[in-house]
Amino acid sequence: MQSDETLLHDRPGLLAQPQAAELKAENVVVRFGGLAAISEVSLTVRRHEVFGLIGPNGAGKTTLVNCLTGFQAPTSGRILLGREQTTGWSPDKFRKNGVARTFQAGRLFREMTVLENVEATAVGLGLGRRAAAERAMAMLDWIRLAAQANRIAGTLAYTDERRVGIARALILSPAFLLLDEPAAGMSDGECEDLVEWVATIPQRFDCGVLLIEHNMRVIMDVCARIHVLDGGRSLAEGSPREIQENPAVMAAYLGMEA
Amino acid sequence: MRFHRSLHGFVTPLVLIASVALITFLGVLGGDQVKTSLTEMLIRMVVVVGMWVFVGNSGVISFGHVGFMCVGAYAAAWATVDPNWKSIMLTGLPDWLQNGQYPIPFAIMGGAVLAAAVAVLLGGAIMRLSGIAASIATFAFLMIVNSVYSNWDAVTGGTSSIIGIPTVVTPWVAFTLAAGAIFVAYAFKVSRYGLMLRASREDEVAARASAINIVRVRLAAFVLSAAIVGIGGGLWAHFLGVLTADTFYLSLSFITLAMLVVGGLGSLTGAVLGVVVVTIVVEVLRALEGGIALGKITLSLPPGSQEIGLGVVLALIMIFRPSGLTRGREVLWPRRRSPMTEVSTKTATALGPGE
Ligand SMILES: Nc1ncnc2c1ncn2[C@@H]1O[C@H](COP(=O)(O)OP(=O)(O)OP(=O)(O)O)[C@@H](O)[C@H]1O
Ligand SMILES: [Mg+2]
Repeated sequence: MQSDETLLHDRPGLLAQPQAAELKAENVVVRFGGLAAISEVSLTVRRHEVFGLIGPNGAGKTTLVNCLTGFQAPTSGRILLGREQTTGWSPDKFRKNGVARTFQAGRLFREMTVLENVEATAVGLGLGRRAAAERAMAMLDWIRLAAQANRIAGTLAYTDERRVGIARALILSPAFLLLDEPAAGMSDGECEDLVEWVATIPQRFDCGVLLIEHNMRVIMDVCARIHVLDGGRSLAEGSPREIQENPAVMAAYLGMEA
Repeated sequence: MRFHRSLHGFVTPLVLIASVALITFLGVLGGDQVKTSLTEMLIRMVVVVGMWVFVGNSGVISFGHVGFMCVGAYAAAWATVDPNWKSIMLTGLPDWLQNGQYPIPFAIMGGAVLAAAVAVLLGGAIMRLSGIAASIATFAFLMIVNSVYSNWDAVTGGTSSIIGIPTVVTPWVAFTLAAGAIFVAYAFKVSRYGLMLRASREDEVAARASAINIVRVRLAAFVLSAAIVGIGGGLWAHFLGVLTADTFYLSLSFITLAMLVVGGLGSLTGAVLGVVVVTIVVEVLRALEGGIALGKITLSLPPGSQEIGLGVVLALIMIFRPSGLTRGREVLWPRRRSPMTEVSTKTATALGPGE
């Protein structure tokens, strides 16, 4: 019998997901008709760190995450997972290779139970139902939602919904976890709690986290490096301190940070 | 232990099968007319449960499943009809079919296999389409099957019927296969593939992010579903004894879909209940069309009331209960006890009274 702790973050042999050290965007361009949603953006998410991606509404953050997870093919440029070219990979292939994500809109399987929501990914990765349920339960225990395991996901409180979304992405320990505004719509206090919890993920799960979040204070607190997008272009990248002192960033955020 | 609850055992199919057994038991006590309707209902249950495997779990409506019923029915009939008749009427059949006569169970299984094979080819092409486009493609498939089977004289007899199929399907035979279909459908629902497919029904985008290959899980369900419906076709052939391609067309498509929708697409219980409810509605209306004597006066509804009545029932359900009579729930849905409450109940018992 394995302990709950190993169930939480070991990777069963049969689904050993390649453990790349970096997830990289190189000169990515995305055009929707005439509109350039992303122009020549390059960035690297590393294992074991929280990488912040910030920018005003419509800056292209979600579009970039879509590129990094196979939901959007770049018009030009490429996505590399370790040394591997990912051109033509489907989203499920990205997940099978250890790149997991959540959605700004939550997107839980609303008519299914909380347990089934988390189980679905484990089953998608190749586990049988019993093993998947066992791991999903360990995950729910860890995020303290075990008591809600048999509840229909659509009836959860908003903050719990967000955490189930993260659990669903985190099961079977991906190499990279991309969180698209996991705290959207939460109060400042709830947001801080959630992000502090997110900050423990890289060590515990041996993965890299890309975090999109509008609350500057928490972003500055937990990120090792931050990348700033504005109008689809890279504005700056650096440590929280460098970003705070960057005049271009200050200009872009003037008026946003009231 | 607590994990097994998420599979909620096999209580649901057992309750469903027991209920259908009870209906069958009561039905066989009735006259010939009742027995005929009962058998018809049980065969339709095989078909509708088969459709549900795909439609219910994937959320993609299929108008084409009656086409698989047609494929299964003809294939089974080819194997069991008298070779003398076949050598005159169905000259296009391969030798082994034309000159041989095979046991009925094998014939019906053969029909299921052929339906499944057709589903592999068709599904491979259309499972990539989005929901509504796939639905329209299934409708196109139904039209193609109908025109092929109505016109390929040397193999299907064309517009003249295939006759002389042994009629061996009694209510209990049909019940046995309906029970089997219910069991298999439930096993599929709680399997890995069932879970992945239901996730894709809830949210395709999130399902793909959950490492689910939607095309593959849909195709698997489509093929299993076609095989079960194909068995329904074989039963139908060996119940009526006569086959015409037009039996498997729009009105049967409509009635089977109505059964699914009335009961509720979201659950197997819905599929089974829908078959029973719609059959009762149709039988009552049919009786009224035939006329009911009330003392000296005979009340009768005008012909066509059956279809109108069914249409009205369907519309009312869509308006007042869009997710069907069962609202997507299974019979004996587990009480929403969480593991935590279970733990605390256990602790309480361990502590004994007075604590
Ligand atoms: N599928 C699409 N088709 C056309 N335009 C799109 C599409 N997706 C995004 N866009 C546009 O691309 C730009 C970037 O959008 P994106 O959603 O990536 O921004 P974002 O930084 O995530 O914003 P927010 O903070 O509001 O989530 C926007 O102008 C948006 O309207
Ligand atoms: Mg966004």
